[in-house]
Amino acid sequence: MKITKEIIQRIEGEATLELEWEEEQVRFAKIKFFNYRGIEEILKKRPLLDALALTPRVCGICSHSHAIASVLAIEDCFKSAGESLHVNQKAKDIREIALNAEKIHNHIKWYFFTILPELKRVSDPKYSGNAFKEKQWFQAQSAIMDSLKMGAHFTGQWPHGSFVMAGGVTCDPLRSDLVSAHGCLDAVIAFCEEHFYGMSLEEFLSFDSALQVMSAPSALSYGIDEMLKHGFDRLGRSFDRFLALGESFMYEGSLKSTKTTVLGADVKYVHESLDHTFFADKNNGYTYSKSAMYKKSYYEVGPLARLMVAKEPLMRDFHRRFKDAALTRVVARAVECAHLLWRTKALLNSVDLKEASLIPPKKEIHSLSGEGMGVIEAPRGTLIHHVVVHQGIIESYDIITPTVWNLGNGDKQNPSTAQKALIGLNSFTKADFVLKSFDVCSVCTTQ
Amino acid sequence: MSHKSSIIWLQGLTCNGNSHSFLNYAHMPSFAASFEMLYHPLWCGAEDFMSLLNSDVTFDFLILEGALSHDERLIQRFNLPFYEILDTLAVRAKHIICAGSCASFGGVFRLRNPEKITGALFSGKEKGGYWLEKNNVINISGCPIHPRWLVETLLALHNGEKVLLDEFLRPKEVFSYLAHHGCLRNEYFEWKVDSKQLGEREGCLFYEHGCLGPMSHANCNKILWNDVSSKTRAGSPCLGCTEFDFPRRALYETQKNMSLPQTPFGISKRAYYTLAGVAKSFKIERLEKKLIDEDN
Repeated sequence: MKITKEIIQRIEGEATLELEWEEEQVRFAKIKFFNYRGIEEILKKRPLLDALALTPRVCGICSHSHAIASVLAIEDCFKSAGESLHVNQKAKDIREIALNAEKIHNHIKWYFFTILPELKRVSDPKYSGNAFKEKQWFQAQSAIMDSLKMGAHFTGQWPHGSFVMAGGVTCDPLRSDLVSAHGCLDAVIAFCEEHFYGMSLEEFLSFDSALQVMSAPSALSYGIDEMLKHGFDRLGRSFDRFLALGESFMYEGSLKSTKTTVLGADVKYVHESLDHTFFADKNNGYTYSKSAMYKKSYYEVGPLARLMVAKEPLMRDFHRRFKDAALTRVVARAVECAHLLWRTKALLNSVDLKEASLIPPKKEIHSLSGEGMGVIEAPRGTLIHHVVVHQGIIESYDIITPTVWNLGNGDKQNPSTAQKALIGLNSFTKADFVLKSFDVCSVCTTQ
Repeated sequence: MSHKSSIIWLQGLTCNGNSHSFLNYAHMPSFAASFEMLYHPLWCGAEDFMSLLNSDVTFDFLILEGALSHDERLIQRFNLPFYEILDTLAVRAKHIICAGSCASFGGVFRLRNPEKITGALFSGKEKGGYWLEKNNVINISGCPIHPRWLVETLLALHNGEKVLLDEFLRPKEVFSYLAHHGCLRNEYFEWKVDSKQLGEREGCLFYEHGCLGPMSHANCNKILWNDVSSKTRAGSPCLGCTEFDFPRRALYETQKNMSLPQTPFGISKRAYYTLAGVAKSFKIERLEKKLIDEDN
């Protein structure tokens, strides 16, 4: 048996992929994350609201997501202490706009800065990348900026904006801010129509067949062609089990699905495993990544999971053809981006500026004791913050990030979602791409 | 075509926030016309990193993002102890730029182990970080950096201009300003009108909500973030993220001494409290009202 160790580059952070080979096929994979930073430890014994400032620093690419998960956890603490906070629809809408800006930017960034160059690299290992060079890269960068600028009208800045507080949001935008934000969003939509989808957003969103997506020349159809060429329509399949515990405009409640059967889910069945980590075993552990499971099983989270539980017609067609292959996973991010653009446009039109941005809690935060959980759908999937507070001081803070769901470390009898997707592949190049199809964020993983 | 300056971007213990903030630079084609990114962990495979490391190539800028440590149990890259990589590259770089508060002072992640996790030349405000001394380091603090702070510093050095630095080795053009300068709530600060609660356009966040704008060095409210806003414009207090002591404790509360807040940077207690007392003794009706009166 041969074992290879390769560094996975050009992801958020760094990972090492250790592959066990037998007869030129991957038999087992270990995904190792180092460079632990310890935000959960740093938060201990600090005042509760400090979590709003510090948890965004878990991750430079999903800082708004952490801020929102954190404020939901804090609001839940008030609830556990007997005060249910009312958060106005305006504040909820602004939180969603901020989250959508982050997701939209993430999906465009990932597709144009990671997926397209990585696909070229599969064909030509000497390909030196498109960053700071190709025209389309600059156009994508401009669209990414516009998406974040749209959100910054409400969040003050990206990354690491502060805009949420228990009871609402801190910003109180004017009509003119909405108009300006709308202009930014329109620029992102124009980029996506011209380059990403090759057609109008409305037309793209009306599709229910993979063949329709392929009909127009676009960055997306080019990527699909390339993935078909390299067999990623069959490679990278995993358990075909999906989980989306956070809220979304695309479905009701918390859901899971096995293949296409969708059922209700409950966050109480989430379990964190420290198996194979340095936390559990200093000497024999091999990663700083915890693993998250639902009822002791590994589930895939993220855009594909969200669209599968939402029974989105276009993704259902891709899934019917290709199951949960790497291709399906990649396309899901493009499809979700289209829905998010449409949804955000509607939110910018409907947000009611007359409502109060924030209704402060009555209970003094320094006397707050209890615990709370915040669950949201971040760009890469379900993100959970859990905090225990005593007299306004954090006793413990636990964060389960999306990458911990997808890229956990199980064992041969019970491999994690990404491990399962890697088993059976016949080259490192393919394994590298399949791993990247999960939009790896080692930064979040080793917070 | 003029000569391009070369950059290697290296990450210590980081959230990647400075890399992502850099990507918000509004004139990226202009950046690319003057600089060549030999290596960036997120986007470049321009050169195989190991061959770059093992060569004797010299280059213009080593950009450091994230807190640093000599302890290989705390940071490694490419299956190597981080210090081996950093020490090898640092001697070959003309300039070393610390992008962000972690690389400058240790930042958030220093708190886990302040003895072993530091910035490049500072550990908090104390001199002596990863290195005791080095004469080619510039700190661009901030959590994260503003993309203009980084690119405009790089461009000045690329053009052979001298960059004036403050005592923490930060470019004076950026860090002589305070986050307070240009804040839309300045008038409320002048007349000591508190923000009653968050979520409103009116009132100053300095007195009750922990705003560190008057003592934090940065031009946030001059050049704005993402071209349009800032923390205070979004109604949140300045967290003081450009300072050596970021993050302070209790960031949403104003630390008071005998019920008086800390004085703004460089203003004596006597001057500040005298003026504050006078200002507070007047009730300015306009400032007690909503900014936009919706009744008429």
